[in-house]
Amino acid sequence: MVAIRLSLNGEETCVDAPVTASLLEVLREGGLTGTKEGCRIGVCGLCSVLVDGLPVSSCLLLAPCAEGREVWTVEGLAAARPDLADRFAAVEAMQCGICTPGQVVMAAAAQEAGAGEPDAGYLDGNLCRCTGYSTILEALRGSGRADG
Amino acid sequence: MITGAALPLDGTGGCPGGDPADRPRHDARDKATGAFRYAADLPCPGAWHVTLVRCPHPGARILGIDPAAALAAPGVRAVLTAADLPAERAGRRVRDQPLLAGEVALYSGEPVAAVLADTRREAEAAAALVEVSYEPLEAVFDPVVALDAASPLVHDSPWTYPGAVIGPGDGPNLQSVVTDGDPDRVSRALARAAHVVTATYRTPAGHQGYLEPQAWTAWPDGGCVRLRGTTKSPYRLREQVAATLGLEPADIDVEPVALGGDFGGKGSVVDPILCAAIARAVDHPVQLVLRSSEDLTATDARHPSVITVSLACDDDARLVALDFDAVFDGGAYASAKPVPSVNLHGAAEAALGYRFGCFALRSRVAYTHTVPKGHMRAPGAPQTVFAIESAMDELAVRAGVEPAELRRRNLLRSGEEDAYGHVWPDARGIDVLDAALSGAELGGSDLPPGWSAGRGVAFYCRPTPAPPATALALSRLPDGRFEVGVPVPETGTGSHSLVGQQMAAALGTDPANVEVRQLPTSALGFDPGVGASRVTAGMTAAVERLAAAWRDRPPGTDSLRIDVPAGDDGPALTCCAQVAHVAVDPGTGQIRLLELVSAVDVAEVLRRRSHQMQIDGGAVMGIGFARFEDLLEDGGQVWGSTLGEFKLPVAADLPRLRTVTVVGGKGVGPANIKAVGELTNVPAAAAVANAVADAVGVRLRDLPLSAEAVYWRLHPPGRDGR
Repeated sequence: MVAIRLSLNGEETCVDAPVTASLLEVLREGGLTGTKEGCRIGVCGLCSVLVDGLPVSSCLLLAPCAEGREVWTVEGLAAARPDLADRFAAVEAMQCGICTPGQVVMAAAAQEAGAGEPDAGYLDGNLCRCTGYSTILEALRGSGRADG
Repeated sequence: MITGAALPLDGTGGCPGGDPADRPRHDARDKATGAFRYAADLPCPGAWHVTLVRCPHPGARILGIDPAAALAAPGVRAVLTAADLPAERAGRRVRDQPLLAGEVALYSGEPVAAVLADTRREAEAAAALVEVSYEPLEAVFDPVVALDAASPLVHDSPWTYPGAVIGPGDGPNLQSVVTDGDPDRVSRALARAAHVVTATYRTPAGHQGYLEPQAWTAWPDGGCVRLRGTTKSPYRLREQVAATLGLEPADIDVEPVALGGDFGGKGSVVDPILCAAIARAVDHPVQLVLRSSEDLTATDARHPSVITVSLACDDDARLVALDFDAVFDGGAYASAKPVPSVNLHGAAEAALGYRFGCFALRSRVAYTHTVPKGHMRAPGAPQTVFAIESAMDELAVRAGVEPAELRRRNLLRSGEEDAYGHVWPDARGIDVLDAALSGAELGGSDLPPGWSAGRGVAFYCRPTPAPPATALALSRLPDGRFEVGVPVPETGTGSHSLVGQQMAAALGTDPANVEVRQLPTSALGFDPGVGASRVTAGMTAAVERLAAAWRDRPPGTDSLRIDVPAGDDGPALTCCAQVAHVAVDPGTGQIRLLELVSAVDVAEVLRRRSHQMQIDGGAVMGIGFARFEDLLEDGGQVWGSTLGEFKLPVAADLPRLRTVTVVGGKGVGPANIKAVGELTNVPAAAAVANAVADAVGVRLRDLPLSAEAVYWRLHPPGRDGR
């Protein structure tokens, strides 16, 4: 086990984890189950989180590599930016919803990247089997930052 | 060029948000914030984690299992084998699958042992230490070969399994056969027809592609057992658990959880029964959560198919005969098929929709040494419709008639009798076909230089069944609000929000005052579960009945439970036509799908967003079937064992999606429903294949449609030095 110090959803945190644990496992075992386990090879987008402002598949990041970094999960982002989750809810950008947390994280990543209309390419790495993507793209389009 | 994203929807069914009555679903915010919990998110304190040891061979004798090293590993509580569990087999209709393989394992991925440990990490580490010695068996992987008398037998006497629908005289390796029609009449009609096409079409194994891995927790409770997990039909599961474990259905309580996608895949029953059996054997709660690759390689994939169609018409382009002969690869066990026929309804309904003159139909499902196959969104229909609607275009070319005109001339009209003798009062195939054609607006402007454009059309129709028998509960909460208790799990379609919306309307209250809760099987009467596009019709009929009972309730009553009998106003015929526009590069074979128009036959639409997402999601799944999805089964192994290799469509893969709803249909039930969940995923593959043929003259009869296949047909090997 190693002790990992990181900023998690805006709070300085220390967690103990096996050296081989993924960030995904550590988050979920710590009760942050909004981050979902999907493919475990970084292609489905279910486990997306922000690490130092960039989107990361938490299944592929060894937890000790999060040492000293700033990690935001969907729970933290939804609390810090309620407009984002509101937007997804208002246009009903989901059916089963298992992919929705990852999509919300990617919308946050698109916001981080700059002002104005978010780049739809931010959703290309997130699978959705239910909706056909139209409502998710609609949610993303309306989520741009006005403040630059 | 449209490569980036789906454009906003148009047509009468589009414009989400335009209807003030159509509030966002009740679970929308929790799903967006991560607060919504699925089976693997729920706590199960103290439960031991189960990891299954799976056979790597497609067919092997198990010579011995040595658990010593695993038992010595940290955190391990037990290692169980077949000898530790009930010998009775499991299945939805045919109980032919052992909970753990005993003497032989019949497919690569079949569980042979279960390792129980305090944590999942420990269970997985220890599973790798279980030593199993195998002797590989002679195996058969091709379903057509499997039906040959010279092939190795997957099961020695499959007719002895409970629920089997075949007999010893039916030939080797047969799970089921369905026949219909008049083969002699068809032979005569084919012999004298003006135009005949005979061709064989193939589709590969696919997967429902739900993204939430299957997950189960089981608690032993005296002689009883409680189960929580990923099922779409909890009441049927309760019966199936009881049958295998020798219990009464009332001894089992199934607590369903909202699903992270289903599409048919979460009807599989062997894993939950295995969990229940393990929990009883060790008298301790256990949890099994699959990894995504286990879902892809070892659950209930879609049946691969080999379908030969003969289709004939006269000089007037009137169809005179259909001969349909399908062989499906059912895999090593029939356990995942739920219907009495143990076959696929899409194949049995192959002659629906058109006046075929006469028809003959045979659908055989074969046992092979591959992963057991199950149901996926309109089971058998995508394969069947790919074959028939491709043959329809091939026949049109032969008869010198426009493909759409051949369909128009032969589609059933309202009041006509179909091939099976059923009269459909509301058969709107021609209207739907014409709506799809008129909704297709894309011209040649999107065509890259040197590429060829093509347009293809395909049609599908299916019965929307009468509302099924179900059950429902209503109670008034202490704060004056209402709670509706429903038996069906929320698979994602919004069915629970619909129940809340309908109940609020019936009670004359605001939807915010109605909570919807999924009840365990101990709390309600029987419900058949999610499937066959029956939930909306069933739930809305039940809501109407319960609201009426509530109005007439005795004074002082604050909760009611009712059993709802099946309705009798159905089935209704529901039609869908799709038009695909493609661009094909003759130099490389590359296919670009530019636009897919879906015309859908509609009666009442109760939640517009939900309805539209069923249309869009189905269309995208149909595109996946047409272009990408292949589990890459070869030699008894599933090589598409991750979501990296088993490619599902992402947003960047989408063409322009258009929807045209053809309103005014006559549906079923008090709410006047035509089901929409299993429509637009079906004809898309044939529409795209027909468009490719239109663009470059290449007829592809195998899915998925690949650039390589187009290329080699346009540039045959050897002709220009290759």
